Amino acid sequence: MRRHLGWLLPLLALPVLGLLLFGLTRDTFVLPSPLVGNEAPQFTLEKWEGDTLSLADLRGRVVVVNFWASWCGPCRVEHPALLNIERNYDPAEVVLVGIPNRDRRSDSERFLAALGGDWTQLIEAEYTALDYGVYGLPETFFIDQQGVVVRKRVGAVAWNTARATIDSLLASSSEDQATAPPESADNGDGS
Amino acid sequence: MRRSVILAVGLLWALPMTAWAQTQAPALDSTAVDAAAAEIASELRCPVCRNQSVLESSADVARDMHRLIQEKLAAGESPEAVKEYFVGKYGEWVLLKPEARGINLLVYLLPLTLIVVALLVLQGRIRSWVAAGTASRAGTFPLAAEVPGAADSTSGPESEPSGTSADVSARISGENERWLEEALRE
Repeated sequence: MRRHLGWLLPLLALPVLGLLLFGLTRDTFVLPSPLVGNEAPQFTLEKWEGDTLSLADLRGRVVVVNFWASWCGPCRVEHPALLNIERNYDPAEVVLVGIPNRDRRSDSERFLAALGGDWTQLIEAEYTALDYGVYGLPETFFIDQQGVVVRKRVGAVAWNTARATIDSLLASSSEDQATAPPESADNGDGS
Repeated sequence: MRRSVILAVGLLWALPMTAWAQTQAPALDSTAVDAAAAEIASELRCPVCRNQSVLESSADVARDMHRLIQEKLAAGESPEAVKEYFVGKYGEWVLLKPEARGINLLVYLLPLTLIVVALLVLQGRIRSWVAAGTASRAGTFPLAAEVPGAADSTSGPESEPSGTSADVSARISGENERWLEEALRE
């Protein structure tokens, strides 16, 4: 038996060490999302102004869907990044859509009146957030011109992260490539 | 011939019908829906809680999930399809008990493998202990090794002591007496 231990112990220890090493290389703030790399869940929702907006109608443009609420602290932190998206991109190429989640309409309106922002706000349906696998607020989904989710950000989105993702999508579009940039769901304020 | 053709066409039509039937769960009454929904909710993780099931949690998102489970079951979806929906949105992480496939198999197989290996190691150790114990007993009882036929004395309680074992006994009692006399003299 003793002579078997020579190879048996390393054989058992290696997978455990492999698992530990795998864990060390992971970002503990990254939450895997099965939506990334797949077609974004379709929705047709009522706008604050009254008419409806369907995700399918935005095909051919980069869509940034932001779930937020006025009571959410990180939503306030990320707001300047969303304002930058609105100011720096042509709506014909990039559409920013807000979906207030579990928030009173009056509170959401007051939030936007105070901090600015004129992008489209949609009234969520009962299970829109569940359809997008939303954990907590804010969550931002970057959807490419083909309607595929290429990135999911959990937590406040940073301007440089948003810009890098959108620019890469626009660049890949101009090069007529169907492939999408970083396919990951991540969390935090990013870099 | 004609009958065979009709039968073949009928069978062809039956194929998609059976496939469709397999995707439809039998309709459940409200009590059965509630029970089935509670069971599924107990197997799903509340996304905003710490190791709590959807059933246990009172978080808004958990309540929404529970309600959606009930609606989906009432609409005739199978429990597997309902769970698949949530896995499709949140990943396998949402299952409190991960499916035994792919890398998840490690969770199930590793403990079993470790137990088997531990038992094998234990068996090897016990064998070596038994062997060492036997050798040790042989070493501390030289008379048994020295005196030919001494092993016969262990043949059973019914057997009469042989002449040689009687010699051994005499030697032992003689030695004991000598030791006792020396001890008393001292």
